[in-house]
Amino acid sequence: MLELLAQSSFSGLLAGAYYALIALGLALVFGTMRVINLAHGELVLLAGYVAYGAETKLGLDPLASIPLAVAVVGLTSVIVYVLVSRIGKDRELNSLILTFGMGVIITNAVLMIWSADIHSTNVPWYHDAVILGDTLFAMQAELLFGAIGLVTVGAVWWWLEKTWYGRAVRAVASNRDAAKLMGINPRTTEVLSFAMAGLLASLAGVALYTGKVIQPSLGHNLTVKAFIITVLAGMGSVPGVLLGAVLLGIVESVTVTVASSALQELAGMVLFLVVLLVMPSGLFGRARRRG
Amino acid sequence: MSKTLFASALALAVAFAAPTLAAEIKIGTEVPLSGNLARVGASMAEGIAVAADMFNRKNGKHTVKIITVDDESSPAKGVAAVEKLAADGVVAYTGGYGSNIIGPASEAAEKLGKVYMTSGGVATELTKRGLKTFFRINNSEGYARALLGLYADLGIKSVAVVYSTKEATEEVAKMVEKALTAKGVKVTLHAFDPSTNDFKPIIHKIKLQDRPEAIAMIGYENDYVGILRAAKVLKPDIKTIDGVWSLATPKMWQEFPDLMDGVVGTSTLPYPTEFTTPEAKEFAETYQRLYNKAPDYLGVFGYVQSKLLFDAAARAQDAGTIDKGGIAAELRKAETVTLIGKVRFDDSGDNPEFTHRMGQHQGGKVVLVWPAEAANGKIKFPAVPW
Repeated sequence: MLELLAQSSFSGLLAGAYYALIALGLALVFGTMRVINLAHGELVLLAGYVAYGAETKLGLDPLASIPLAVAVVGLTSVIVYVLVSRIGKDRELNSLILTFGMGVIITNAVLMIWSADIHSTNVPWYHDAVILGDTLFAMQAELLFGAIGLVTVGAVWWWLEKTWYGRAVRAVASNRDAAKLMGINPRTTEVLSFAMAGLLASLAGVALYTGKVIQPSLGHNLTVKAFIITVLAGMGSVPGVLLGAVLLGIVESVTVTVASSALQELAGMVLFLVVLLVMPSGLFGRARRRG
Repeated sequence: MSKTLFASALALAVAFAAPTLAAEIKIGTEVPLSGNLARVGASMAEGIAVAADMFNRKNGKHTVKIITVDDESSPAKGVAAVEKLAADGVVAYTGGYGSNIIGPASEAAEKLGKVYMTSGGVATELTKRGLKTFFRINNSEGYARALLGLYADLGIKSVAVVYSTKEATEEVAKMVEKALTAKGVKVTLHAFDPSTNDFKPIIHKIKLQDRPEAIAMIGYENDYVGILRAAKVLKPDIKTIDGVWSLATPKMWQEFPDLMDGVVGTSTLPYPTEFTTPEAKEFAETYQRLYNKAPDYLGVFGYVQSKLLFDAAARAQDAGTIDKGGIAAELRKAETVTLIGKVRFDDSGDNPEFTHRMGQHQGGKVVLVWPAEAANGKIKFPAVPW
């Protein structure tokens, strides 16, 4: 049993790093603009399909397709921002409808261009087994993108904490008008947040394409998962996203081992509700982040 | 007097001849062309279009006109599609995918008094509702029978069944468990949520605790890929890994060649496809002409269900009963040998003759390996893709 628990915790940890990659972009936009980008999962999916297109048409390795995915998804993300920024009234509510609609458009565009078949990379290296200490098993893709996930979360945290633009993003998130008075252009920082969210979605999409399978209907599920992690984390908190994602990944995975895979989604939701009941602002809620 | 007699005879002749005039029969197709069932829905729609093309060329009298509405993989949209198609004047429906969509859509068709024909919903519950206008050519029992028959021939003594908690997959899994347990085969069940994408914890449990001779996967394409990848990483000591629909297809080999060799799944056709009967040859040629590719099993099912429906509609048209429940009556009367075997409908609209075949991926080909009378090659056993 110990061996099973060790493997499921390890699998959960890797799944958590992958979840963090998916959720970070949503959390960033949520924290900056109070906009829940319901098209975020579709942006992740779009990046996966760009990697698929680059592999099949250009012969590019999925890692080499990241710049192309960043260009396409970053641009799409900025288009979403331009549309959201034109909302004059009740932005928080209306942006939900707008981004949901954008998600539907992206899904259908993917369906029309790439059909509804499932795809995954054909580069065998990504699916080769890695065995650690004779007891822990993973695919190379999971380890690679787990590591990329951890590094990316650290980099985004550093960017927000230590750079001028990062501070500007946080200032706009805290108080848009006060930030303006301090000479910060809110629109620039908001565009930056969406572009950064596009970059993060691109990494998540390529991770998805290498380690899992992609299909057009997947985007909505990814958005829901990212939203749960964002709320679990506490609004806009980067360390919270990592902790929330890893916690969710481990809870889901251990549930499969000790109970049943049929209960893993339920276990994730129970975790979500328990955290919100005990800590209504999430694991790293607003008060602590501002302090 | 003679003029009156002549006029009367003419009037009678016209009156009796009227029902047998050539007619354009409108048939509605409600299929998922977007959403998570878009791929399977599109393949079924191709089979339907091929059946219509062949009917229109061969019938010589009546023609069918297909009107298609996308149900977007949603039960509510399925009902709306059926109602919209009725407003467009269709006399029956062919299509439908997913038991949860077919259920309400076929009930809507029943209320409208129109036949609903499908091959996309295998849940037993669908034929236990007492509907008079619901027909399907395949069912869960046929898939379970094929898997059970294969295991019996291979002499498998223990099986781990990994299944999705969706209605149809759970039903097949429970049928397989019940039948295998009754034969003294050791069975362990592992249910998984449809959103699961990491199967390593399940396969690890199977490897360390269950130690079966076979793993049976009862899910969908993305599930098979996840299970096979996890198994390839963990390498459980098994003799065979098998599944049901959407697994033993050329598409799966084309997309995931490293995962498929030796894997067995239900399959209507071998690949490369071998068509021996004149009808099958014509079907394959028409498919190639319309879609520039070889047909897959979903196309075959879409074709068979539609051909049966079109023929029944034509007979009902000739009998003048097309708007009076004649299509359902004609379907119940017929017993037809089709590309998927014999089809006849019982009172519930089910096809009790349906038993699937099993095909094995062998170096890029799908070889039919069960039952013996349909086999076009020998099974490789033991065989796993790692």
